[in-house]
Amino acid sequence: MTGIGAVFYRDYRQRMTNIGFVFWDLFVPLAYLVLFGIGFERMLGSTIPFEDDSFSYTEFFLPGVLGMVTFSVAMNTAWGFFMDKDSGIFYEMLTYPITRAQVLIGKISFNVLLAVIGSILAIVLGVVAMDIRIRWNLLPLTALIVVAATAGWFFLFSVFAIKLARMDSFNTVLSAAYILLMFFSSMFYPLSDVPGWFRVGAYLNPMTWQVDLLRFSLLGVGSANVLLLEGAAVVVFAAICLILAVRALNRAG
Amino acid sequence: MYEWGSRTILKIQDFARGNKMSSLINAIEVEDLRKTYRSNSSEPVRALDGVSFAVPQGRIHGLLGPNGAGKSTLVKILSTITPLTSGRASVMGFDVSRHSLAARQQLAVVLQQTATENLLTVKDNLLIYAYLHGVKSREAALRMRALAEEFEFEDRLRETVQELSLGTKRRIQVAKIFMLDAPVIILDEATTGMDPIMKRRVMDRLRTEARNGRTILLTTQVLGEAEELCENIMIIDQGRAMASGTLPELRKLSTHIFRVNLSFAETNGDLVDRLEALKPEHLRVEANVVEMLFRGEEASLLGRLAEISRELPILQFEVHGPTLEEIFIALMEEKK
Repeated sequence: MTGIGAVFYRDYRQRMTNIGFVFWDLFVPLAYLVLFGIGFERMLGSTIPFEDDSFSYTEFFLPGVLGMVTFSVAMNTAWGFFMDKDSGIFYEMLTYPITRAQVLIGKISFNVLLAVIGSILAIVLGVVAMDIRIRWNLLPLTALIVVAATAGWFFLFSVFAIKLARMDSFNTVLSAAYILLMFFSSMFYPLSDVPGWFRVGAYLNPMTWQVDLLRFSLLGVGSANVLLLEGAAVVVFAAICLILAVRALNRAG
Repeated sequence: MYEWGSRTILKIQDFARGNKMSSLINAIEVEDLRKTYRSNSSEPVRALDGVSFAVPQGRIHGLLGPNGAGKSTLVKILSTITPLTSGRASVMGFDVSRHSLAARQQLAVVLQQTATENLLTVKDNLLIYAYLHGVKSREAALRMRALAEEFEFEDRLRETVQELSLGTKRRIQVAKIFMLDAPVIILDEATTGMDPIMKRRVMDRLRTEARNGRTILLTTQVLGEAEELCENIMIIDQGRAMASGTLPELRKLSTHIFRVNLSFAETNGDLVDRLEALKPEHLRVEANVVEMLFRGEEASLLGRLAEISRELPILQFEVHGPTLEEIFIALMEEKK
């Protein structure tokens, strides 16, 4: 087994041994889609207007659920990373005959696989059980966005996992990230109706870029200029987070 | 001779193993090693200040020192966790700064901190550790079974490590290194928290590994353990080597310390007073048996003991060199 393969297998065994992780990775986003989606759909009426078109709330929300999947998977893996540090195994791993890059690649590979599985489950649930119509021809683009976003979130949270020494500090960062990045974005509501300050803040949030791109790839909505800018921003965000994570990992110990 | 970091070392190593000439080369070499920790908020801390030593292949080398002496920093530099500030260090000829990955390929390390995969089962802890070191899965499974039997955790293989006691976690952590064939083993206070029987088993296993050509660098606070296990010992304090050598060599550094054991045929009420008048560093009297530790010249003491023996005959008289603990304490006190 190669170094990357061994790190991948390690993360796989961690998830399989602790099934609670899988609940948070996969089932919480699906529960959001079903419970939150149906509840809001009933409250808001049959359709909501969005970008010169109209959608059911669950249709509008499905790309947000995919964003939630990438976010949850990355957050759980970063939490595992922090636990590795807390248990001392993180420092022991620095003595193993694998490079820091192999550790990150092995981890991100498993994360991406998990996020893709979660996204497929959400799409299948939406299409089969909730009658959501998606653009099948753009599924490869959807997969690409899921991969890039999962990597970006994982690298971002890894920096905090490596740098922060105290668990309460790390949990506070994760909780704040959960509230701010998910609710201060276009995940749950169209940004056209929110106050100006909210809209400006939301457009600075990588989650908005990711969800807007997913809305385009799944529903075919969005302005081309904005989407191009957001696509570039997601790539830059993931690249910057990767650099920060590698630097943090190289300085660890 | 070989070059630092050169691949030719591997050929020498293979040759040495094949021909049982393992002591021909140094498995670990450290030369004028310095490490300074800098932070914005406080003065720089010099953790290592010009330490040099070499460990020949197949030897057990002990590193002793009080807390904060620099032992763990040295271990972290050798295992490539922490970069050195200046000097050089190599493992099996691979420079730890320039060829860190190649150096790590030669190592199995137990850090001071308990390091176990708490979210994994005991079985996965051992297997994944082996996979991460490039051991094939079939070989890893065979070794895992053998170790589970040797270290008595066969019935716990399916339990997650977070459910285990600290001592058992430590046992798993130490057992892991025997999953590997790495030629150098580094143990940083590895037996802390282990029960005496398991500690003995680990020590026996380490002796066997050294006999088979593996090199072991051991830091410990348990001086008896170092005395029993290590062929060479280095005492460091405040980042500097204070003394090093075999135990007899270290004893020579402390010739003015010696232990006297006496057995009297009979005792009387003022024996303790008369012995205390000899001004021993340490005195223990149990029935007719006396144990004393002295610092000073042996000759003058012998004359005074002869006077005592005229009134209270001595049946047995033994003079011993100091234990490692006594040497260690004496060196620390001298430094103060």
